Amino acid sequence: MRLLITGLNHKTAPVEVRERMAYDPASLGPALNDLRARGVSEGIILSTCNRVEIAVASEDGCDARPAVDRFLSESRKVRLDDIAAHLYHHEDEQAIRHLFRVASSLDSMMVGEPQILGQIKAAYASAKAFGTVGGFLEMVLMRAFGVAKRVRSETGIGESAVSVSYAAVELAREIFGTLDGKSVMIVGAGKMSELAARHLHNSGVTGIRVTNRTAERAREMAALFDGTIVEYDRFIDTLPEIDIVIASSAAPHYLLNKSQMRRVIEARRNRPVFLIDIAVPRNIDPAVNELDNVFLYDIDDLQRVVERNVGERNKRAEQAERIVAEEVERMVARIKAREIAPTIVSLQDQLEQLRLAEIARVRGKLGELTPKQEEAIEALTRGIINKVAHGHISEMRRLAGQPEGIEIVDAIRRVFRLED
Amino acid sequence: MSVVWLRVAVVAYSLGLLHVLLTVLYKRRERTFRVALGAFYTGMILQAVSIVEHIASIQRFPANDFFESVSLCAFFIALIFLIVYWRYEYESLAVFIFPLVFVLALVGSLGAPVGPWSNMQLRDAWLLVHIALVMVGYAALLLTAATSLMYLVRERDLKRKKAGSGFSRMPPLNTLDELMSNALSIGFVFITLAVVAGSTWASIEAGKHWIRDPRIVISLATWGLYLVIVFMRQTQGWRGRKAALMVIALVGCSAVTWAAHTGLRNLLSK
Repeated sequence: MRLLITGLNHKTAPVEVRERMAYDPASLGPALNDLRARGVSEGIILSTCNRVEIAVASEDGCDARPAVDRFLSESRKVRLDDIAAHLYHHEDEQAIRHLFRVASSLDSMMVGEPQILGQIKAAYASAKAFGTVGGFLEMVLMRAFGVAKRVRSETGIGESAVSVSYAAVELAREIFGTLDGKSVMIVGAGKMSELAARHLHNSGVTGIRVTNRTAERAREMAALFDGTIVEYDRFIDTLPEIDIVIASSAAPHYLLNKSQMRRVIEARRNRPVFLIDIAVPRNIDPAVNELDNVFLYDIDDLQRVVERNVGERNKRAEQAERIVAEEVERMVARIKAREIAPTIVSLQDQLEQLRLAEIARVRGKLGELTPKQEEAIEALTRGIINKVAHGHISEMRRLAGQPEGIEIVDAIRRVFRLED
Repeated sequence: MSVVWLRVAVVAYSLGLLHVLLTVLYKRRERTFRVALGAFYTGMILQAVSIVEHIASIQRFPANDFFESVSLCAFFIALIFLIVYWRYEYESLAVFIFPLVFVLALVGSLGAPVGPWSNMQLRDAWLLVHIALVMVGYAALLLTAATSLMYLVRERDLKRKKAGSGFSRMPPLNTLDELMSNALSIGFVFITLAVVAGSTWASIEAGKHWIRDPRIVISLATWGLYLVIVFMRQTQGWRGRKAALMVIALVGCSAVTWAAHTGLRNLLSK
């Protein structure tokens, strides 16, 4: 069986091309059937906002490349010349490596992001539903899921926050543990604070208060998270009830200084509070961080956390690449061993036929035999055959994984006059 | 006769201690406060009776020896607490005062031992109970100290902006603080019971001189520090770094107390 992956991604194609090539869920079924009708044995289509990839398995000696290229251009109604420059083709071992890397999120825009595996699983599920996968490609896909899981658990590549707003959530978790029932105040309803609030909201934070110079914008934002509005001039009075503060107001001076915060923390009976100041110029006096049980992070601090995490991810990606290389090697050996299996079976069959024929030939000359003697003859002949064949078969298995294996296997087939 | 009244007073005060132990363990203002306060009043009246009777019998101001002074001291502390409580409704001060008054009154009442050991098995069993209570208390205290150390490391990382990676395998700050607080409370309960068991045992064992034993003095001092920490935590919301540092100091004191007590097992009669 041969494997071919044809596709384009965020590295090879701009978004204008990617959006034209994307398959929406509704068009996926007909497309899969169309693909199958073009002479490939199995096929799967992966379409995400960052990549469109088509993986097909075809019989040996059949080059699926032109067929898939034509399929892409016809089904997306684009001229092949227009997309040819953006397309890449990976075959066999290269294709396996590519699939494993994509599934392990090593080929993603943000290395280690977790969505891609789910997207591949969804693509597999729809291909399975339309009956365009089963057998060889399925086996490779299953292994890809396994590799992705292994990479994730052995390298922990996806564990760190690589965006400012997510880093803020991660920090909040390191302080509070669970965020269930924690209260948040948003000071200054901007885009950034909305993003951070959304992440926090999704992590179980409940009481969200919003305060903003213009009440209208505060109302809009409060509505997004079932939050309540706090008067802008008096938000400090509410702070003792608040666990997490996100400040991003456009105020030109500090809205919260150390002595104000000291009173807040006293009123909180020293329960910890996490202050996120993403405003520039800053809204919160940096000296506030000197107070016990107050943790203040400004935009640069968060940025540094993200940089450090990205660096850490890249380091772990190297480790992940080693895992993928190892898994590809293992997969290739497994496929080769699978290919050689029929040859081994027919060799064993032929030798067995030979043995039975020889026994039948001499059996008449031996006269009456006791069951014990019969058994001995069986064992003797079988033993000879097995001893002779054993060396060949293990050598064939060993050679199967090597580049020149196919030729040697062919030679063995000729020597033993094995029929296909 | 006066010492009998004092002993009954100690029993009344012990209800106050019980209330505090419950408060510390369950971390909320217990409804038992009313009962405990009633018992506290009763204890004070009984102690006043004891003091008056004592004065009548010796015809002098009752501060002639350590035990008399301690008992008197306990009474005055109780009195001051009542004034503060009536004047300022400062209820949570009881967390500090109830155990303190109880232990002082207990020490005061142990000037004259009840009598010699009636049987040696009881003596040994009593001592073993004391040791077991101390062990559980120390185990909890060590857990508190280990958690405190982790807390300090984690807190420093967060303050120095070295956190947020998600790679850390240490529990969140709040979890550590809660664990610290729970272990501290459990430790306090056991150490307090151990102090009561140990003091009464020592007084029966050594008679009037038990209080001069440096081991007793150092144990009571350590317990005093423990009480202060628990009180600050309970009422002043001491938590986080400050509490962690105090706990580590407390473990230091406890280690000294422990060292002073090695060889206690030799006192067992077998």
